[in-house]
Amino acid sequence: MGARSYFGQRLVAVPGLLLILSLPSLAWGASLDLKVFPSQVEIGAFFRGHRVTVEAMIPQGAEAVMEVVGQAGDEHLMRKGREGVLWLNVGEIEFHGAPSLYMVMSTNPKLLEAAAAAEPWGYPALKTRMTLSGLGQDPQRDEFFEQFLKLKESEGLYTTFQEPIKTSPATGGLVPVKGEFQLPTNVRPGRYEVCLSVIQEGRITAKECGELKVMMVGFPAMIATLAYQHGAIYGILAVVIAIITGFAIGFIFKGGGGH
Amino acid sequence: MSWSLYLPVAGNSINILLLFGLGGAVGFLSGVFGVGGGFLMTPLLIMAGIPSTVAAASDSNQIVAASTSGAYAHYRLGNVDLKMGLFLLIGGVFGGTLGVQLIKVLRSMGNADFVIKITYVVMLGVIGGYMFMESLQALRKKPALEGRRPEPAKVSRYNRFIQSLPYQMRFDKSGVTLSPLLPLILGVFVGILAAIMGVGGGFIMVPVMVYMLRMPMHVVVGTSLFQILFTCINVTIMQAITNFTVDLVLAIILLLGSTLGAQFGVRLSRRLKADQLKILLASIVLIVMVQMLASLIIPPHLMLAHKGGH
Repeated sequence: MGARSYFGQRLVAVPGLLLILSLPSLAWGASLDLKVFPSQVEIGAFFRGHRVTVEAMIPQGAEAVMEVVGQAGDEHLMRKGREGVLWLNVGEIEFHGAPSLYMVMSTNPKLLEAAAAAEPWGYPALKTRMTLSGLGQDPQRDEFFEQFLKLKESEGLYTTFQEPIKTSPATGGLVPVKGEFQLPTNVRPGRYEVCLSVIQEGRITAKECGELKVMMVGFPAMIATLAYQHGAIYGILAVVIAIITGFAIGFIFKGGGGH
Repeated sequence: MSWSLYLPVAGNSINILLLFGLGGAVGFLSGVFGVGGGFLMTPLLIMAGIPSTVAAASDSNQIVAASTSGAYAHYRLGNVDLKMGLFLLIGGVFGGTLGVQLIKVLRSMGNADFVIKITYVVMLGVIGGYMFMESLQALRKKPALEGRRPEPAKVSRYNRFIQSLPYQMRFDKSGVTLSPLLPLILGVFVGILAAIMGVGGGFIMVPVMVYMLRMPMHVVVGTSLFQILFTCINVTIMQAITNFTVDLVLAIILLLGSTLGAQFGVRLSRRLKADQLKILLASIVLIVMVQMLASLIIPPHLMLAHKGGH
């Protein structure tokens, strides 16, 4: 980066900073002191999901929204429709920009209920960020988006928590907040963004994000590597194990078989 | 102690005892009837939360173990007609390849799902219904015929047809003489249906052997398992290479259950009479057909589904 652009950015940033400092709600400082415990979740052989705790400090009188968001990708699904008297898969539908995981909670659940498309949190915000293809008629978009949410909720991958973020008594004008998310057993390995937004008078006045890493370790990691990187060896190994087991069980039962 | 185990390809944790129980129950049926059990296991796994593509591919892998165990047990009992099995297998592989191409064409035309589901319902209904009625009639007639030697079968039009085919060959284990063209052609037919329906084809192959090849029921069961073994070895390797959907951990738990279940199934099959076996299999086939028909007629809870399921 050149010196000129660096100073140019400083010139823009200084008035912006002065404006933020002039807001009483943010006068305490920019950091929300966001902490994610644990910041790394390991999927081992006996993984049963994992509880993730998020802690932060927000200004007194403000509300907060916490989100855990997975990487956005494309989902290829089949849509069902009626043909005569039968319900069948009638076509493909693709959802673009769908996060692999979306969990949201707030200090005041009404914030999530009332979330309009203009707000940058909650399901309505997801809808504005996602696009659909494979649908002929636009009015069906809303209907299928609702169905998509239902499907994801049934899989435990999208959740709007009704329990509010816990708050503690304020000290020095700051309120400690704590949210707990249960990662589902079917969470995919990858990087997740954990964000906390501070809301005052219906607007986000501060936002801080942390990272949560989910990774496979041990035996599952070994199997996954073999399956995805050495498919032929893995397939032959699977067959050999199956045949040996089949023979072994057959041999064991031979003794008591009477034949 | 936690009984949950993480399945790395399915990407989910599941209760080991549940999987072991499912494997055991389906393996038991496999041993009794000589069917792979794919038409039962795959829907059960999907209900347990396994993605449909992983359920179908991993099921093929566990069928390899169950059918090895079952076929080996039947082989020791002298119930495997290797010669007949080989002809059916050659036909089945050819038919399976044809069926896969047919599905590709249907998918491009946009009506593959309709054909798959209707084929399922019709095949299950026809086979289950016919087997059920035929076995019921045989069971009713039995008390009257008790103590007598069974009468030789009447020479029907079908019998005359199979006797008129060229290259007549003796199949000693099955005790029949017929042209190898017949098992080859029937193998192709079953292979096409199995590819369309995405199953091993055991529940179609068993009635085909009984009614069209006139094989004795106990040889049918062993020979069917022998044929299913090779079909599922091929499917497992192909799925692992092309779709990465074989979950070895899932398959191992299922196969431990299913191989044990298959052994108990084989023992029970020896105690049951042929008509009792047929009527039980027919009942299971009909129950699956009714369940499938209901899922087609009753409006679904969700209007979206993942790709790969039936």
